[in-house]
Amino acid sequence: MIFQLAWRNIWRNRTRSLVVVVAILLGIWAAMFMSGFASGMARSYIQNAIESKVAHIQVHHPKFVEEGSTIHYLPQPEALLAFAKSQAAVEGATLRTIVTGMIGSSRSNRGTEVWGISSEDESAVSTFDDDIVAGNFFTDERKNQIVLGQKLADNLQVKLRSKVVLTFQDLEGIITAGAFRVAGIYESGNAEVDESLVLVQQTDLLGLLTPTQEAGGQDTFPSTISHELAVLLDGPRQIDTIGQILQNAFPDLLVENYRELAPDLRLYETQIQNISLIYLIIILLALVFGIINTMLMAVLERIRELGMLMAVGMNKMRVFSMIVFETLLLTLLGVPVGVFLGYLTVSYFGRVGIDLSAFSAAMQEYGLSEMLHLELDPIVYTQIIIGVTITAILASLYPAWKAIRLRPVEAIRTL
Amino acid sequence: MSIIKTTQITKVYNPDKVPVRALRGVDLSIEQGEFTAIVGPSGSGKTTLLNIIGGLDRPSSGDVSIAGQDISQLTDNELIDFRKDNIGFVFQSYNLIPVLTALENVEFVMLLQKRPLAERRARAEELLEAVGLKDKLHKRPSELSGGQQQRVAVARALASKPAFVLADEPTANLDSSSTAQLLDIMAELNQKEGITFIFSTHDQRVIDRAQRVVTLVDGHIDHDQDRRTQPQ
Repeated sequence: MIFQLAWRNIWRNRTRSLVVVVAILLGIWAAMFMSGFASGMARSYIQNAIESKVAHIQVHHPKFVEEGSTIHYLPQPEALLAFAKSQAAVEGATLRTIVTGMIGSSRSNRGTEVWGISSEDESAVSTFDDDIVAGNFFTDERKNQIVLGQKLADNLQVKLRSKVVLTFQDLEGIITAGAFRVAGIYESGNAEVDESLVLVQQTDLLGLLTPTQEAGGQDTFPSTISHELAVLLDGPRQIDTIGQILQNAFPDLLVENYRELAPDLRLYETQIQNISLIYLIIILLALVFGIINTMLMAVLERIRELGMLMAVGMNKMRVFSMIVFETLLLTLLGVPVGVFLGYLTVSYFGRVGIDLSAFSAAMQEYGLSEMLHLELDPIVYTQIIIGVTITAILASLYPAWKAIRLRPVEAIRTL
Repeated sequence: MSIIKTTQITKVYNPDKVPVRALRGVDLSIEQGEFTAIVGPSGSGKTTLLNIIGGLDRPSSGDVSIAGQDISQLTDNELIDFRKDNIGFVFQSYNLIPVLTALENVEFVMLLQKRPLAERRARAEELLEAVGLKDKLHKRPSELSGGQQQRVAVARALASKPAFVLADEPTANLDSSSTAQLLDIMAELNQKEGITFIFSTHDQRVIDRAQRVVTLVDGHIDHDQDRRTQPQ
């Protein structure tokens, strides 16, 4: 009957109880939406970084990472590429020749990182081919074509078919330069990439990087110079396994995953859970005071009745339990509805996405996509349900304590 | 045999500030089966005495023995259990549980006593029939008149098979007809089943029906009239 009594008590003031239920369900919905938003943002940032530049795994000559000198290229890059591609979990792998130098137009100069790529392999690893907003991604056979970011194009004041000059040191340390025509312009969604990274065909870059070969001289350097093998997996689950396989097969090379290559990505990844928890805690704090306020009112307006219950023999434990039970019942009404609404919202916007193109400049600045897809780790559902239930119990303790502090002899006479 | 015995009980409110002496050495003994009214002007200590006898309040000094047990030594929770099993209460404002039906209100104390459902249900129905509310079993208090509510309160007070029933101004909010009906029911229960009733009241109609009238003045017993042995 305590359950029955508690259940009927919560419907004595229907409006007030519904307000609490709605507050609880809105709190849960908001917590789920905010967590989904934050997780989606973090995931978008990570995904963008992986797809635009970092990939899941990179392999380098150890000294290339340490010194950044182009002379530390990968030995037997073709064997490495073939081995990587033979792994089942590998979605794509590409070799990159990387130099840093200057890019100049007739109007301006900028520092830049140049990737010499095989466009077919690169397309399987990164999304530059999809990010093309003008021109193409090396689809014609012409030599010395370059693809650069929109931001860099703006800075250099160049457009499609404009001529730019790349200047950098070749493998012998001699300054070399080559003229390229703009074949494509991309917008990767990451402003930093867009204003600093240019892509050319690997064969064109090798022609400048290894001039003696081009001139038909001695074979001082191998025919293919690659500094980086970038590997994209079908998901991050097998990242450690594939990394280990590559490392075992090529023990002299440095195999790193994106978490090691870009600590900010690891930070984002680990903080997704924390961000969700912080949102949840803030919302639960607001909920605590709402519940305390309501239940305190419920107790204060029933002082005489509570006094009577204790007078006729309802002990303090039972009175206490009744108040806690009433709060729990309100919570149990709000939680499933809130979780269901939250689930629907997160699922819908996870599938369709939220169009944030109105803030595209700011989004790109932070390396985020314009379409944000909400995403919620299943553990957050558990956290929310447990969190709200514990919050409700905690919030009911003070009103319940107030109730059992009543002296029946005084409470009975309360008007 | 006395079921209630108070020995030199005093009650002082605000002892450290402005002391108010509500009771000044009250000796009272009530036997099983009495139908007793405690009367007196406002502030005479009627309610305080009733609260102390009912285990709702503690005396500042003196002893209170109910059915042979000194209740002044009990803790708050022990007192709640003691009240549940030994004392029935009828309050001036009925104080029924508004969300429960008449039947459930009467069952409630038996539920606290952990009596089986069948026994609870049977006794509650029997008591409500005894107070003339057989056709109102499933009505909530808001659907009953004041007199009917007070009759439910009487049935509730009797449900736990208490040693006695304390009724604090039970007719204060009732009209003449309801008062007469209620008094008839309580008198009948007293005579037929030997249930002890103790009232605090101002109501002459209650006083007229009482077998014993204890008059309190300024916190002490001024007059104790037993009408079973003395002429009225």
